[in-house]
Amino acid sequence: MDRSAAGVSYQRFPRVRIRELKDDYAKFELRDTDASMANALRRVMIAEVPTVAIDLVEIESNSSVLNDEFIAHRLGLIPLTSSGAMGMRFSRDCDACDGDGSCEHCSVEFHLAARATDANKTLEVTSNDLRSTDPKVCPVDQAMAYQQAIGTADPYDTSTASDHRGILIVKLRRGQELRLRAIARKGIAKDHAKWSPAATVTFMYEPDIRINEELMETLTLEEKTSWVESSPTKVFDIDPNTQQVVVVDREAYTYDDEVIKKAEAMGKPGLIEISAKEDSFVFTVETTGAITAYELIINAITVLRQKLDAVRLQEEDGDFTGLDAHLGVA
Amino acid sequence: MPPVMPGPDAVAAEGDPDALPVPTYRSLAAPVRRPVDKFELLPAFLKVRGLVKEHIDSFNYFITKGIKNIVQANNRIEARSDPSIYLRYKDIRVGEPSVQVDFRVETITPHFCRLTDRTYSAPVIVDIEYTVGKTHVVHRKPNFIIGYMPIMLRSYACVLNGKDEAELARYGECPLDPGGYFVVKGNEKVILIQEQLSKNRIIIDTDNKKRVIASVTSSTHEVKSKTVIVMDKEKIYLQLNQFTKPIPIIVVMKAMGIQSDQEIVQMVGRDPRYGDLLYLSIQECASERIYTQQQALQYMDDKVMFPGPGNVKEGRSKTLLRDVFVAHVPVENGNFREKCIYTAVMLRRMLDAILNSDTFDDKDYVGNKRLELSGQLVSLLFEDLFKTMNSFAVDRMNKNSDMARSSPLDFSQLIMQQDLITTGLERAISTGNWDIKRFKMHRKGVSQVLSRLSYMASLGYMTRITPQFEKTRKTSGPRALQPSQWGMLCPCDTPEGEACGLTKNLALLTHVTTDQEEGPLMNLCYSLGVEKLSLLSGEEIHAPGSFLVMFNGLILGKHRQPQRFAKSMRTFRQSGKIGEFVSIFVNEKQHCIHIASDGGRVCRPLIIADKGRSRVKEHHMKELRDGVRSFDDFLRDGLIEYLDVNEENNALIALYEHLDQDDVQRSSITHIEIEPMTILGVVAGLIPYPHHNQSPRNTYQCAMGKQAMGNIAYNQLFRADSLLYLLVYAQRPLLTTKTIELVGYDKLGAGQNATVAVMSYSGYDIEDAIVMNKSSLDRGFGRCIAMKKYTVTTEKYANGTISDRIAKPQRDKDGALIKQNMRALDEDGFVAPGQIIRNHDIYVNKQTPKAIPKTPGTTLTDRDYKDSPAVYKGVDGETTVVDRVMLCSDTNDKLTIKCIIRHTRRPEVGDKFSSRHGQKGVCGTIVQQEDFPFSERGICPDLIMNPHGFPSRMTIGKMIELLGGKAGVSCGRFHYGSAFGESSGNADHVDDISHTLVKHGFSYNGKDFLYSGILGHPLEAYIFMGPIYYQKLKHMVLDKMHARASGPRVLLTRQPTEGRSRDGGLRLGEMERDCLIAYGASMLIFERLLLSSDPYQVQVCRKCGLLGYYNYKLKTSFCSMCKNGENMAKMRMPYACKLLFQELQSMNVVPRLKLTEG
Repeated sequence: MDRSAAGVSYQRFPRVRIRELKDDYAKFELRDTDASMANALRRVMIAEVPTVAIDLVEIESNSSVLNDEFIAHRLGLIPLTSSGAMGMRFSRDCDACDGDGSCEHCSVEFHLAARATDANKTLEVTSNDLRSTDPKVCPVDQAMAYQQAIGTADPYDTSTASDHRGILIVKLRRGQELRLRAIARKGIAKDHAKWSPAATVTFMYEPDIRINEELMETLTLEEKTSWVESSPTKVFDIDPNTQQVVVVDREAYTYDDEVIKKAEAMGKPGLIEISAKEDSFVFTVETTGAITAYELIINAITVLRQKLDAVRLQEEDGDFTGLDAHLGVA
Repeated sequence: MPPVMPGPDAVAAEGDPDALPVPTYRSLAAPVRRPVDKFELLPAFLKVRGLVKEHIDSFNYFITKGIKNIVQANNRIEARSDPSIYLRYKDIRVGEPSVQVDFRVETITPHFCRLTDRTYSAPVIVDIEYTVGKTHVVHRKPNFIIGYMPIMLRSYACVLNGKDEAELARYGECPLDPGGYFVVKGNEKVILIQEQLSKNRIIIDTDNKKRVIASVTSSTHEVKSKTVIVMDKEKIYLQLNQFTKPIPIIVVMKAMGIQSDQEIVQMVGRDPRYGDLLYLSIQECASERIYTQQQALQYMDDKVMFPGPGNVKEGRSKTLLRDVFVAHVPVENGNFREKCIYTAVMLRRMLDAILNSDTFDDKDYVGNKRLELSGQLVSLLFEDLFKTMNSFAVDRMNKNSDMARSSPLDFSQLIMQQDLITTGLERAISTGNWDIKRFKMHRKGVSQVLSRLSYMASLGYMTRITPQFEKTRKTSGPRALQPSQWGMLCPCDTPEGEACGLTKNLALLTHVTTDQEEGPLMNLCYSLGVEKLSLLSGEEIHAPGSFLVMFNGLILGKHRQPQRFAKSMRTFRQSGKIGEFVSIFVNEKQHCIHIASDGGRVCRPLIIADKGRSRVKEHHMKELRDGVRSFDDFLRDGLIEYLDVNEENNALIALYEHLDQDDVQRSSITHIEIEPMTILGVVAGLIPYPHHNQSPRNTYQCAMGKQAMGNIAYNQLFRADSLLYLLVYAQRPLLTTKTIELVGYDKLGAGQNATVAVMSYSGYDIEDAIVMNKSSLDRGFGRCIAMKKYTVTTEKYANGTISDRIAKPQRDKDGALIKQNMRALDEDGFVAPGQIIRNHDIYVNKQTPKAIPKTPGTTLTDRDYKDSPAVYKGVDGETTVVDRVMLCSDTNDKLTIKCIIRHTRRPEVGDKFSSRHGQKGVCGTIVQQEDFPFSERGICPDLIMNPHGFPSRMTIGKMIELLGGKAGVSCGRFHYGSAFGESSGNADHVDDISHTLVKHGFSYNGKDFLYSGILGHPLEAYIFMGPIYYQKLKHMVLDKMHARASGPRVLLTRQPTEGRSRDGGLRLGEMERDCLIAYGASMLIFERLLLSSDPYQVQVCRKCGLLGYYNYKLKTSFCSMCKNGENMAKMRMPYACKLLFQELQSMNVVPRLKLTEG
């Protein structure tokens, strides 16, 4: 780390282009920045964007086949709508309840009571049976079903009511009963994966594909076809009219080098050149439904900022002397 | 399975329609056409025979036939004084499992017995006829119970026999449980299969002095004996324990009535080489001047070991020859001829072996082995107990008959006096000690507790075969893999270490025979042209071209057309006229035909082929699939037959029906394997692609599969095992095998499909450690439940009038608990189910009376009881929960409280995991998900395994499992990896898997392009990543970690206690001490061995050198020997040293300490 260059500004102005945005899915490009930035965003989205999840379960009665801890674990993993999570307090630093987690600032209470009475059918207890004390925080399926009922659902959403059957918690036989009280709290996925809002957060370097058209023209159509088919993903195709090889889907390329190896095997090295653009990333974000993909990205940026602010504050306090020494900077 | 398999050829054809099919190695090796898919036979076989059918069959044979034979052979007992007082057993049978409670009979179920610590046993019922009174009136009593016999689960006598799944569920039983074990005092006990050398067969071998011996272990219902004929210094002798010296064999022959030397030689065989070898023996006999039978017997009489009372030696040797010498050959009306011929055959075999060393018998050859199953073992035990009971009854009758009694005794009162049979059987099965003096049998560890660690462990127990050899022998012969084990015993499944190769396991399709009636078979042989021995002269026996016919070790006679005879016998067997397990074996080398119908032979079913053409055709298989044909129909119609190891030598067995070969090439094929993967056993069957692994890896997996956690049985939550490990989210493997489906491992899996990335990560993955994803663990990967049973019994005192009591938790007047460790207790004094229980909490608040009152009938008050609570000893900081509390009264009517305490654990660093390829590893570190590598699809592995695990282990199967698993998840079909299954369609080809992978956008080689989770840049290499089935093994850090600074000490030596359970110290042993000595760290040794152990200050008298004491009142030390305290010195020594001195003094040895100033 060269500190003498501290005055030089490395500031860049990243650009974001959103390609696709749905409630629980987003695809966007992040340009003019480097991997550290992209990865920081990804890491924060996975681990540090807060959500609400069931954290404390008090079982009043459980005669089901699954034991108490089992059910508690399953309850914890149910995604709850947590749009308000950013504004909530962590129960450990909640002043209103001394951190015991039972006030409206830091927790939401749930109730579940189910008893199977039908002789011939097992009763499926699902997340839809959870009764929330706060209408803003409820299992994701319940919320979606509700939205659908009142007609405010995502217009692109093609799911039907039967898709929102809820997440199965336990099956009850006749006579079995499950009654419990659960408290959901704000948390981050660093502590437990149940607080992760992200189902998938990943990015890839945008590939830069350059076909050596001159060399390509020396190939016969058959050779071209076999070359195109050597890629496991559909990146290239042959234009039916011009019989030229064209790139149909650049991002389908998985950096597998198959086409390059194929070209070499065909005795045409240099037929294609593929490199990763080191400053542009294609992000794919999918959420559990706890928050929307948009919220996830925005919240992640907020969290990242807060972290940077914390670092800056520390720097101003002059706490970095120790770090300097550690890094061997005079 | 469609008749045409979409093989690689089909795929190639799709891609390139014009290309000619290029012959590959595989296309040459694989059968081109598969007209018949025989796989369906396997489930059909297992449906009829089951996984543990050999145990159940053997026990069924005992309770239906064996027990009746035993009683029939000893059916009359009579008083010695008056033989007209008698008792006769007319019939015996085993009733249905039940107990007698207060003169009521209640039927019991196995699960009830498991929970209440009872024995699952059924009454042994006899019908008797006996004389009563002085007038000897004959009474008859039907349904008289002489005892209770433990019943094997799923046998005929078991309530579960023939029940369907719903009924089994009602009995609380798991439908996948195979049965074949006993429930004794609540414990499940398996009688292991015992391996023995076959009885009544001639074995030619060399002894430890390299002498050629022929030995026969004779075993009949009456006697068991061992006969050895040995060639010593070119002369042949008979060795019997009853003789003091070896007897020249010619003398023995003469004693049995063959007085002419010529006849002896003729009987052995006319070949002049035999004569040469016998010459010296004959000469020796002649030099002893023994020419007649009388002389021979006299000579032998002198050599008898214990000549009986009164030193009467005369005639002893003749009885010995009749009853002990090759005892299984009958002597009818004093006619020794059969025995003579048998001896001659033994001699001939011996001489053959001397002339041609190829003809030695191999003791390790599986055909020379017999497996003893539970039925036979219980039968021996029962026979002994039954005879003992009868002799006791006779003894008592004799004693009582002398006394004048008002009501004279009858036998029916005597036979049931003690429950000899009940306790005898119960004790033997529960301890595993088979001590039967009558049969000179002293075996330990015959029965073992059925391990319920995992479903595989219990199945593995049922197929285990234990050897008779002591394990300490370093011999390699019996441990080596025998070619004759093929298809009968699993080549993979054997333990490591001392029992390696000795303890074996049955293969999937193996069956062990039970005894079959001999009479009809013998008659059949005679009517098929076997010439009786008695009609043959010695010369004729070995006439060239004719074969001797041996039946279960006996010589029946000879046959002139051996092949024709064998063929017709086999035709009879195939048409079901004689038992399917009878084996007909033509031994060309020995010129013998062996017919065997005895129990304990291993055999397996094979498809019969006529000139290489399978008799099982497609329409048969269709009928099977349609359910109109069962496996037994295949047997009855002569499509399939059982061959034992010996008969396999007469067969040429093809793996597949090679239709592409011409008739000449395959005309010699007689049988076709049902499925090659059946050479493996149950436990090895769950390894995918085992034929691609290095063989020891499969053996390691066989041991580890039994330690994997998973689901144990459908009734696992209702069981009360003392220790039960369950996986929270057990899965079925993505890459299955046909065996997995057959045995039900897909229903009771023991593992989870983890996405594994083979790469180096973090450095915490060296030496097979694995790196785990924390989010995966949060979501339930590797999470397990450990349930432990704690039992408390309330004792009864003073003939049951007073007993321990359970008190409710004591509270003060505010209602608060007096003792904090009673918080888990309910108001009844037991812990409440669902309650969290911590270390030192009480789980049963038991109280015992302080003293037993002398006067009976006094009621005890609260003050007369003292607390003796059961305190839970757990790990601090862990949350354990009471799962269940069960109350039951045991057989002595004592109240037993069983508390089952459950602990849910998530994996932690140090927990042991293993894939199915003998690749175990501990969790090295747990890493956050965001630090884990990821692919652009967003896939992130569950665990990371170091690639160094592959090169030296050569577990290619694991790599194929990963590929197949990856293809499986992408296309949504379970892929198969059955052993040797590629050519029969029971395993997917790697080519096909790669095609599937490419179709779903993955690289054909299973490698992915990953990004570093920490830095976000692409990783330098492509990473081999995909799902592998991982097992969590029972070894967990939580149960093992132990450290101590200071703690409890042993009372006697004042040294730290030993062992984790007693919070013991960590021993600095001899070798560690040696290191410190070598290094010269004397003060460290001093500290470790004295200060940290048992330092003690003693007062030593410098004058007498003995130990004194310190008087604290006077503050002086004092020597009790010198009677003064003048020359006392203080010194430190280990307490154990002081103890030694005192112990020596107590033995009148005086240890004196000589002190010098230091």
